[in-house]
Amino acid sequence: MARVLRHYGSLIGMAAIVLFFWAALPDTFMTARNWLNISQQLSMLTVVAVTMTVVMVMGDFDLSVGAMASLAGVVAAVLFTLGAPVPVALAAALAVGLAGGVLNGVLVSVIGILPFVATLATLTMFSGAAFLVSGGKTVFGRDIPQGFADFARSGLPLGTLDGKPLVLPALTLFAAAVTLAVWVVLDHTTYGRRLYAIGGNAEAARLAGVKVDRLRLSAFAFTGAGAALAGLMYASRVASANPVQGDGLMLSAIAAVFLGMTITRDGQPHVLATVAGVVTLGVMDNGLTQLQVDSYVRQVLVGAIIIVAVSVSAIGKRAMRGR
Amino acid sequence: MTGFTRRAVGGLALAAALANLGGMAHAAGEKVAVITPYLSQPGTQFYVEAFQARAKELGWDVNVIDTAGDVAAVISRMEDVATQGVDAIVLNVDPAQVGAGLDAAVAANIPVFGMDAGADPRIKANVTSNGYAMAAETSVYVANRIGGAGNVVMFVFDAFPPVQARGVIADAVFKNHPDITVLDRVTPDVSDGGIADSRAKMEAILQANPEPGSIKAVWAAWDQPALGALQAIEAAGRQNEGIVITGIDANPQARDAIAAGGNFEASIAQDFQGIGKTTADTVARVLGGEALKANVIYVPTRLITSANAKE
Repeated sequence: MARVLRHYGSLIGMAAIVLFFWAALPDTFMTARNWLNISQQLSMLTVVAVTMTVVMVMGDFDLSVGAMASLAGVVAAVLFTLGAPVPVALAAALAVGLAGGVLNGVLVSVIGILPFVATLATLTMFSGAAFLVSGGKTVFGRDIPQGFADFARSGLPLGTLDGKPLVLPALTLFAAAVTLAVWVVLDHTTYGRRLYAIGGNAEAARLAGVKVDRLRLSAFAFTGAGAALAGLMYASRVASANPVQGDGLMLSAIAAVFLGMTITRDGQPHVLATVAGVVTLGVMDNGLTQLQVDSYVRQVLVGAIIIVAVSVSAIGKRAMRGR
Repeated sequence: MTGFTRRAVGGLALAAALANLGGMAHAAGEKVAVITPYLSQPGTQFYVEAFQARAKELGWDVNVIDTAGDVAAVISRMEDVATQGVDAIVLNVDPAQVGAGLDAAVAANIPVFGMDAGADPRIKANVTSNGYAMAAETSVYVANRIGGAGNVVMFVFDAFPPVQARGVIADAVFKNHPDITVLDRVTPDVSDGGIADSRAKMEAILQANPEPGSIKAVWAAWDQPALGALQAIEAAGRQNEGIVITGIDANPQARDAIAAGGNFEASIAQDFQGIGKTTADTVARVLGGEALKANVIYVPTRLITSANAKE
């Protein structure tokens, strides 16, 4: 029994949440349109969370991802206002993300600061930089090129349902591509296995000849670039950029990875489990909004679900060890 | 097995709590979603509370959704309530930023209303204050107070369309008085909030016009430059020359200055409660089948002077 709960408790819980909303909202929840909707709403969080998984595999954290997402958005937007072509602005924003990630990597691996402290400091720096770059203002309207804003509204037509077009959103496809790429890297390359080795025991990995410092540095670069990508997706979705708009992504991304960890066999972060965590958070938001649950109650419930999931997992683990 | 029982009980309690919330949702009446990223801001709270009060009288089931500053979440929640099939959506965010959400509402045939949100073809009506009227009130106040003659300093900000509209009206009013001369039309640097730079600009103008009576009034398109000008005039020791200052918005600092009875004599207050109530009434009109002719609906504003600044 404990074994079943340990392995499947959270998965059963996630399924129960979906079934609950299905029952409470029979007409609108379990529909293709709603799920395509949810997939689009979650696309930015998915990108941040799966790239966050890369550092969490090593037992590290990156608290600066939300601030980086904001910074990347305003960097691109301010370049737009200066007349830069879209590809140039996007490349510059991604370069900022990569550079920020490398900075985190250097602080953590080369200098040896605790990730919590290092990325808390860079969070503050990136956030300050976002305000500096934008002058504290929101960039929107004619300053944002139509093509950039249209990207988030475009998608792959899937045909029609009830006389209305059904579209697989471009943002969803984009997030799926990033997820696939990170999944391949983490689960099917030596590089990924070495990151897991560092997470298991950094010292043992080092003794086994794994270049721990270099790998940790590169993993943070991944996360930084992912955060910047998510920031650009966000800016496209709202057709504007302000210096705080991505900040909320950080806590949700970490929560998603933790939720995901409760369903993995080894209790470690895995990309697909992280996606399950992201979907759980998104389904809660979507379903509770449709049920007209107060937005503050919604927040409390989401936190409670995380606690329940992690508790079930912890209790299951203890039960398996026979106390 | 005891561990399992404990978990099962916990799970049941959670399920019961969720089911309870679900049950609460099925109240009678029209379903209206109010979505804003700015609920923590005082003005927004006034709108929303007044909207809720009116909606209660109308027997609606209102769901106020605060996304705590997250604009993308506004789009997501608009999509969610469009899927849910609410009867109307009320927004308090610039429609230019939530185009995808407006598309979702239009596709689901749900009318969207703006509560001081901005105009958009996909919005049935935006309920707000009339910037032109506000500027007319304060500029006419200035013209009357100085007897239609003398030098006036204007503080404007033409880069921001709502404030630019105010300046246009003041220009027209002052031009219509042949004996009023606009001494300077200043655009302050607002990156520090607008007070400090306006003060610096005003100090320079005072320096250039040292004769008492050479400046009769300062008309500011919003309160911050008016406060800056007031500081400059007081710092120069020229507060007894009868220079009349007006602002717009009647923020708390401006109200204090006006109540103190100094040079800062008037500002304009928007009726936030009125905007909330009128928004609810406008939603009711559309739900009742009326086709609105005007897609911007103005709620009257109020001139604030020392007589009513403390109210």
